[in-house]
Amino acid sequence: MISSDIIRGHLDAIILRLIYEKDRYGYEMSKEISRRTDNQFQIKEASLYAVFQRLEKKGIIESYLGGVSYGGKRRYYRITSLGKAYFKEQIAEWEETKKIIDIFMEVLE
Amino acid sequence: MKKIEIYVDELFKKIPQSQQKENIVKDIKQNLEEKVLDLMSQGKSEEDAINKAIVDFGDIEDIKMELGSNQSKKIEQARIQLGFSICGTVLITALFIFINFNYTPDIIWFVYPTFAVLWWPLFMLYRWLGLRQ
Repeated sequence: MISSDIIRGHLDAIILRLIYEKDRYGYEMSKEISRRTDNQFQIKEASLYAVFQRLEKKGIIESYLGGVSYGGKRRYYRITSLGKAYFKEQIAEWEETKKIIDIFMEVLE
Repeated sequence: MKKIEIYVDELFKKIPQSQQKENIVKDIKQNLEEKVLDLMSQGKSEEDAINKAIVDFGDIEDIKMELGSNQSKKIEQARIQLGFSICGTVLITALFIFINFNYTPDIIWFVYPTFAVLWWPLFMLYRWLGLRQ
């Protein structure tokens, strides 16, 4: 299981991607991340909620109470229009970053 | 399930009460309970499932930073202190003016202590502006 610092720096992007697709709640996201990465990366709940807090404060995502689970109402997260713009910006930036890092990280002969 | 609740409450014990904290604690409990049920449906015993959920939970330092960042509280405090310093300056200056004109109306000296006192609200103003950024 990978839990490197490199991924840590991109948790925001991972979560934004998931709620860009549709509104989701916390546990759904952590399950979805494990599923898509074939369990190679599992997000810690603690990190997940730290990211929610941070993004919500910045106005990139917002939350609302929705569908009922057995323990009460679930809190769903959705991306704001600011968030969408921010995420697109991030994707473009990542493309550039990848190119730069690739220059130096080619497999050695 | 009680164990999850106790665990989460214990984790967040030191974080000051706030509506935001209440919400997040509630969400995390719900999230973990759902995870436990999920793990149990995959064949784990309740105890194993709870332990796994707790171990997987991770470190709450980051959440603490987001929640506990008393930045807004500090700004609020600085604002109150700024208000206090302005009121204080006005009162002290008024006192000097009164003494000046009441006892020594021929010599205008109240400006000097007024300038000295002005440093106080000025300092508070810049502290407040600095914190707001």
